[in-house]
Amino acid sequence: MGKAKKTGLLLLAILIALFVLLPLVWMLSTAFKNDFEALSGRMNFLPKKPTLDNFVQGLSGELMNTPILRWIVNSLSVGIAGTAIVLLIDSMAAFALARLPDLPLRRTLLAMFIASLMIPGVLTFLPMYIEFNTLGLINTYQALILPATAGAFGVFLLYQFFVSFPKEIEEAARIDGVNKWNLYRRILLPSAVSIMTTLGIFTFMGIYNDFVWPLYATTSPEMRTITAGIAMMATGSYTQSYGKLMAMTTIAALPVLILFIAGQKSFVRAITSSGVK
Amino acid sequence: MKTLWTSRLTSFLFVLPYLAAFALFLLFPILYGFVISLQDFELLSAAHPFVGLRNYMTIFTPGTYENSIFFRGLWTTLQFVLYSVPLLIITGLGIAMLVNALPAKLRGLFRTFYFLPYALSASVMAVIWLMMFDTNAGFINSLLQKLGLTGIPWLTATPWAWIALVLTTLWWTIGFNMIIFVNALNEVPEDYYEAASMDGANAWKRFVSITLPSIRPVMLFVMITSTIASFNIYAQPFLLTRGGPGDTTRVLLINVLDQAFVRKDIGSASAMAILMALLIMLVSIVQFRLTNRKEKV
Repeated sequence: MGKAKKTGLLLLAILIALFVLLPLVWMLSTAFKNDFEALSGRMNFLPKKPTLDNFVQGLSGELMNTPILRWIVNSLSVGIAGTAIVLLIDSMAAFALARLPDLPLRRTLLAMFIASLMIPGVLTFLPMYIEFNTLGLINTYQALILPATAGAFGVFLLYQFFVSFPKEIEEAARIDGVNKWNLYRRILLPSAVSIMTTLGIFTFMGIYNDFVWPLYATTSPEMRTITAGIAMMATGSYTQSYGKLMAMTTIAALPVLILFIAGQKSFVRAITSSGVK
Repeated sequence: MKTLWTSRLTSFLFVLPYLAAFALFLLFPILYGFVISLQDFELLSAAHPFVGLRNYMTIFTPGTYENSIFFRGLWTTLQFVLYSVPLLIITGLGIAMLVNALPAKLRGLFRTFYFLPYALSASVMAVIWLMMFDTNAGFINSLLQKLGLTGIPWLTATPWAWIALVLTTLWWTIGFNMIIFVNALNEVPEDYYEAASMDGANAWKRFVSITLPSIRPVMLFVMITSTIASFNIYAQPFLLTRGGPGDTTRVLLINVLDQAFVRKDIGSASAMAILMALLIMLVSIVQFRLTNRKEKV
């Protein structure tokens, strides 16, 4: 490749990167402006009068009906709880499907789980709402956590990993009289740390970022997750309070952006093993 | 010594917790959804009389409210699919090839940049762009005015509203397709290209005769996932255009949720949701079949 062409491509790459990063930088900059400056239409990236008011007001709960600190705690809690459950039950199921040939209905279960990956979410959304409503669980943490535990993606991902685990190690352990639980707990799980991390990051981001289900599954301000809360603010009385809105989106985006950058390799692995074979 | 059935039972105990979650929060809702769609199910009333296929028939009866919101919503969603999917594929592949053409040291950095927005929640993404597209104070119109152009009513007039929705979708999700394509491109054997170069094939020819055929299965995967994702569009029109101007961007999912939670007619909304889900699954089957046939010819 010629040098001119190489430089041209690099310039193009930088241009696209600017387009991609600009909204994020602008979000950060606006978060430190007062609402008046945020609405002024000026294009200064450095705020004229930088202020922390948006963050302070938001986090101290001064803004009406927006207990933001609570929203973040809610989001992090349901994200962590949901992820922990998914990691536990998915790894146990995947272990049995891949490693315990006497599991009853093994093939049927596997086929059913894999087929469920094609089910669009719109099919379960309304009946799930009615189900939780009937059980009296709307506006509870259970409603925010449990639906995320049913997805078969994790079972499928870990199944693929456990199936390719060398038989010899397992057989040696079996001859030594290791029972199934210890085989799972002491031999297969420790070897799966990396793929479990991948699944963990993927699951946490999925729960944390979802906003449509929490929007309907919660009814009181203090039960909202941060993503649903932001959607409510933007459609409610904070429509053009860009300073405040951007402070909130900055706070909401921070945990996932950090997790994403730190675990990017894991995340990419989850995506690329999700169906392309 | 354990008997056979206790061993089978302990094996089953490993699957049981996930199976319970699967049954309660996936299998049951699917079946229950069908039952609800056969009922006159008002959200706030206690009795839900069985009405057979009436909810479905109403949707297919011209002139009814349900008929109008279902098919207009469907058409709006299809428009979005039509506008977005080709761009999602072409841009995704283009950016993947661009990243691969960069010096090895810079590839990881740019890949991270392009992939970053994908980490955001749909609501965070939409609210950021709400500000960017603001007619009076938005960054984009400020920039246009600085360049001596007039501002554009991005979210309140067509075709701008469509352009805004497609643009935000590209910005938000293009990293996913890029990653898939980068992966596929890296698996094309280098010697294919070398052999073609020696035969005097130019860059375009190498792209058409080597790159495209080699990544065909991945192309199909991206086509299906992009189509399904676009079919499910909700956050962008819900938060950015509010379905407007008029109801030009009121996509099907907005109408389905509106029917359920604003008009409180869960029975009819469930019937719409089931029809929509069937369409989504049908589209992926058709795409799969079509692409497979081409391969055989």
